[in-house]
Amino acid sequence: MQSFNIVVYVFAAIIVASAALVAFSRNLVYSAFALLFTFFGVAGIYVMLSADFLAAVQLLIYVGGILVLIIFAVMLTHRISDVEISNQSLRPAQGALILIGIMAVLLGVIFKTQWSLEGQLEYQATTALIGDLLLKKYLLPFEIVSVLLLAALMGAAVIVRKEVRGEQSGGKS
Amino acid sequence: MEFTLPAIKIGAIAPELILVCSAAGLMMLDAFAKERGKTLLPILSIVGLALAMVASLKLWGKSEVTFAGMVAVDSYRVFFNIIFIIGALLTVLLSMNYTPREEIDRGEYYVLVLLATVGMMVMAAGTDLIMIFLGLELLSISVYVLAGFARGQLKSNEAALKYFLLGAFASGFLLYGMALVYGAVGSTNLAMIAETLATPHLPARVLLMVGVGLLVVGFGFKVAIVPFHMWTPDVYEGAPTSITAFMAVGVKAAAFAGFARVFIGALGALHPDWTMVLWVLAVATMTVGNLAAITQSNIKRMLAYSSIAHAGYVLVGMVAGNEVGRASMLFYLLAYTFMQAGAFGVVIMLGQKGEPRLNITDYAGVGHKYPLIGVAMAIFMFSLGGIPPTAGFVGKFYLFGAAIKAGYVWLVILGVINSAISIYYYLRVTVVMYMHEEGEEVLAVSRAPAVALALILTSVATLGLGIFPSWIWEPVQKTVNLLLG
Repeated sequence: MQSFNIVVYVFAAIIVASAALVAFSRNLVYSAFALLFTFFGVAGIYVMLSADFLAAVQLLIYVGGILVLIIFAVMLTHRISDVEISNQSLRPAQGALILIGIMAVLLGVIFKTQWSLEGQLEYQATTALIGDLLLKKYLLPFEIVSVLLLAALMGAAVIVRKEVRGEQSGGKS
Repeated sequence: MEFTLPAIKIGAIAPELILVCSAAGLMMLDAFAKERGKTLLPILSIVGLALAMVASLKLWGKSEVTFAGMVAVDSYRVFFNIIFIIGALLTVLLSMNYTPREEIDRGEYYVLVLLATVGMMVMAAGTDLIMIFLGLELLSISVYVLAGFARGQLKSNEAALKYFLLGAFASGFLLYGMALVYGAVGSTNLAMIAETLATPHLPARVLLMVGVGLLVVGFGFKVAIVPFHMWTPDVYEGAPTSITAFMAVGVKAAAFAGFARVFIGALGALHPDWTMVLWVLAVATMTVGNLAAITQSNIKRMLAYSSIAHAGYVLVGMVAGNEVGRASMLFYLLAYTFMQAGAFGVVIMLGQKGEPRLNITDYAGVGHKYPLIGVAMAIFMFSLGGIPPTAGFVGKFYLFGAAIKAGYVWLVILGVINSAISIYYYLRVTVVMYMHEEGEEVLAVSRAPAVALALILTSVATLGLGIFPSWIWEPVQKTVNLLLG
């Protein structure tokens, strides 16, 4: 149990440290790469919680897909060498206020709730269980997700595709 | 692992299936048809919507939960389906002449309208938090794109971006709230949630309360209640007017459908806890919406603030929480669909390409030059203001009556005061139309037979609901039994 705790805390430390780097780094490229370690850390936590499928998906989609996309977007953005465009802290006073508020609520929830803790985690492969659920209990939501993706796909195409007849090119930003 | 397919009742999701199929068909038609075939798109959408309406009506009076507790087949859902389909039909009618005029007549427009309607239906039918969230996302993503459909116009770009950014935030709040509720209760199924909450001892009360609070924020944004209304005027003003009408009637009704099923149904045991919050929000929404509407000079912005105020009136019914309250919410949302879509129809009718003149003062002399349009607009304005014999009056009467019955006298007093305030700015439009000297020239009417048809339908319905409310009120009272799954 002791070693389990240590590993979880190591992952948590990685997440917090890299997330801080994402937020505070003055260079957008550094931020994007720091995000890589955040995603890895989260995947590690999933593994420790015996959510093996979720961990794999986390790596595949977030690290393999979204992060690569973000880095591409960052690299294709012009004036990337300008450090100025990176995240400067705006309105620290208001930000601190919001931070304290959210922290208070979350800490309140964490400490006031009587969590029903199960003593020992049972390790088992979850992929088959998830597949079973997706085709039985969650069949309909699963199908609706595909409609949702269709709408998103088409919407994105509508927004970004080249100007068609009658549209002035000046207005679009 | 042995695998048995679950029982699939196609009939239970027939309306949604029909609309998804028509949307897919329209997409294919748009991709492969020649120019002439594309003129069929709006007509085919109307056919699809009409079929979905028939399929919905077939579900009337049933009472069961299918798809492993995901979908309710109850009259509540059917009634909301009717509202959504009417809203979508009116939107298509309003768009038929509007989109060519604004040169945004691309096929995806109707596909997205249909998909958004599917999202609304899923929201109203869902008996699981997952379903409600997916419905909301399907609806929202389609409408984000529709709001920015006039890509050549900066205002439309701004509307889409604002709606998307704030909407994504709101979805985040909603999802976080759902996650916390799931954490506290141990299920996303509404019936299971209600069952767990009915037990006296709740171990994770704080967690639950924070989750419910986040749910209020998420739903509050989607129905545009104060203080989560900031996006409404800009988005309503910038979006294409036909889509503004769609947002004002369909999106709002859908959000209320999910809101009410979750709060009155699943979280009914917590009624004393969330009622006070909604009480305050209802008063704030009515007051801010009406006071801000008074100062508006742009008619689309004025109608946007008015739609905020109307969300406040509907909240009164939710606060009441009794059976009459639920029924009156449904009645009011239906009445509101007609009058608000009609008002936007008049705006479209009197607009030119690019809609350069949207000031209320531009409507001077319209009443004399185009008597029929003047009369129609007057009916919608009277109805929105709640003057008899219109649907708006009857709707408010039921809503406030329900709240009185539940003992919320002060809420009703504030609501009535607000209603009186709102008459000022609704009547101002009528006064400008009939009594002001026309300025340089009276607005020209665009040739739009489909819009004219929509105006006739909505004004007849607005008056009809006002004069014969019992035709709808009787069936509506049967819809109040929410199924939870």
